[in-house]
Amino acid sequence: MLSSEEIIRTIEMLKNENLDVRTVTLGISLRDCVSSSVGEVCKNVRSKIEKHGKDLVATCERASKKYGIPIVNKRLAVTPISAVAEGLPRSDYVRVAKTLDETAKEIGVNFVGGYSALVQKGLTVGDRNLIDTLPEVLATTERVCASVCVATTRAGINMDAVLLMGQAIKETSLRTADRDGFGCAKLVVFANMPEDNPFMAGAYLGYGEPETVINVGVSGPGVVKKELERAIQSGRRLTLGDLSEIIKKTSFRVTRVGELIAREVARNLNVNFGIVDLSLAPTPTVGDSVGEILQCLGLDSIGVPGSTAALALLNDAVKKGGAFASSSVGGLSGAFIPVSEDLNISEAVRCGHLSLEKLEAMTAVCSVGLDMVAISGDVDAHTIAAILADEMAIGVVNHKTTGVRLIPVPGKKVGEKAVFGGLFGEAAIAEVRGINRSSTFVSFGGRIPAPITSISN
Amino acid sequence: MQKDETLLDWVVVSVISQDRPGIVACVSKALYENHYNIEALSQTAILGQFAMILIASAKKGQPHQSLETAFQALSQTLGLNISLKEARREDMVPYRKNGTEPFVITVHGEDRPGLAYGVSEILAGWGINITRLDANVTLIGQKMEYLQIFEVDIPEELDFDWIHDRLRKRGQELGVSIDLQHQEIFRAINQL
Repeated sequence: MLSSEEIIRTIEMLKNENLDVRTVTLGISLRDCVSSSVGEVCKNVRSKIEKHGKDLVATCERASKKYGIPIVNKRLAVTPISAVAEGLPRSDYVRVAKTLDETAKEIGVNFVGGYSALVQKGLTVGDRNLIDTLPEVLATTERVCASVCVATTRAGINMDAVLLMGQAIKETSLRTADRDGFGCAKLVVFANMPEDNPFMAGAYLGYGEPETVINVGVSGPGVVKKELERAIQSGRRLTLGDLSEIIKKTSFRVTRVGELIAREVARNLNVNFGIVDLSLAPTPTVGDSVGEILQCLGLDSIGVPGSTAALALLNDAVKKGGAFASSSVGGLSGAFIPVSEDLNISEAVRCGHLSLEKLEAMTAVCSVGLDMVAISGDVDAHTIAAILADEMAIGVVNHKTTGVRLIPVPGKKVGEKAVFGGLFGEAAIAEVRGINRSSTFVSFGGRIPAPITSISN
Repeated sequence: MQKDETLLDWVVVSVISQDRPGIVACVSKALYENHYNIEALSQTAILGQFAMILIASAKKGQPHQSLETAFQALSQTLGLNISLKEARREDMVPYRKNGTEPFVITVHGEDRPGLAYGVSEILAGWGINITRLDANVTLIGQKMEYLQIFEVDIPEELDFDWIHDRLRKRGQELGVSIDLQHQEIFRAINQL
């Protein structure tokens, strides 16, 4: 039997602490959609997505009502389009992307991830075509998200691809200059890109995944913060070990919600249940912030000395609680620190507590990387590529995923603000020091070899 | 050892009293001394008032007179309000229609007369059985609120969304917030 306390606690989490399921992402393989005719590819892609995805939104909404828990986003992840469109000329790639965009709109999902390529060791013709068309696709579609894996611990860092991505980011920003470079918010550059990540913009369906699969991303920064506050206000003498324990238990609860919803939706759609991604994903709402959790842990602001240690504690506790709660954990699974999507982190950048360098250090201990960081539109492609390379190196050497979503904002400088709207939020322009000083390094090209620790067999 | 239930008679006993130590001891002593075995028991206390229901068995044909006398003595000396009723074994099965799903209804807001009736009347009309009902003033978030918790079994043929809609509308009429959620969400969040 349920106790009254259990029921009250659940209601509090749902009503006052922003507990929700951040995304239910349906993965659909498009490997059987290939053809040398663009009309055929587009027809196949559309009918496959419609067939498997048409009931996704309604099924999620029913599960949401049944359990009384909001499911904020319903999304699609597909096979990397670099492979699906490999038989087509470059000029046809945009048409495939537009088909994805239209079909996503038709079935009512807000994003479709998978305009992607995996190029950590080198580029195929299709990969190159995909990267070349990124700016146009991101500027002319609404719901298509793109991701490119340029590095893995096994392969090292493909610096040719890193430079190409620096240029793609720069050009995408210019092509969406009227929206503060928003196209770049839909593009992630990865090291060790997970095949089952349900979160955008980096979701895609990996080559080892089934025909269709449901992956779920949970949320819960607000719940973690409230639990910490409650414990601290109780007046008990607490150590950081005690606080870690509180985060762990809360993460357990949050993950269980994700697993419940994932299994229900998968069962009703007759699709495999894949994974629950344990990430603490903030929103630009007061009380739903990873930055505020660090403040609860006793720091004046995220970014001040101690932030990396506090984030390491948080990330570890989230994983431990989540791993106990679900038998199928995957994706990114940790704490996100997306600048524009977290009011508190965005404010820390604005008032100077959080620098790009400190953010980079923190990405060594959290689940993603330099995420939703707005920088001046003056920053050149080579410098952007060098920032990418630094972040990739952190992922490669530490055997972890790192991703970069940098948004050069045309016409704006440090001290100004970029506004993306909705869950993407807004961010003060972060200062990039040492612009135009890395060009020779990134222009060498080639591959930074895999670290010695990659030879583990 | 397996009991042969055909050789037993059954009684349902309810006890209501001002709460204090010793009530369970007195009642169970009377049962024990009169050769009754307690088969099932539930006890609670709200706002200082004690309530207990129990089912006990005795050898078939054994008269209940001596137990009734013992209970009368307890009523007079300790002020317990005790009732004893004979029951048939076949009646002692939980009310459960096949094909139901467990849901939890929470009603919260300002206390006012008619809340329990307002909700339960709707449930009764649809043949939805209440398996547990609690009402209390409790701290939710920052403020004290009146909270009613109904655990109910909703027949599968009824659309929970439609019922939720009706309950929500009733909540608006009564000036309280009413939610309906599948029981599993509470288990998932709180229990291993």
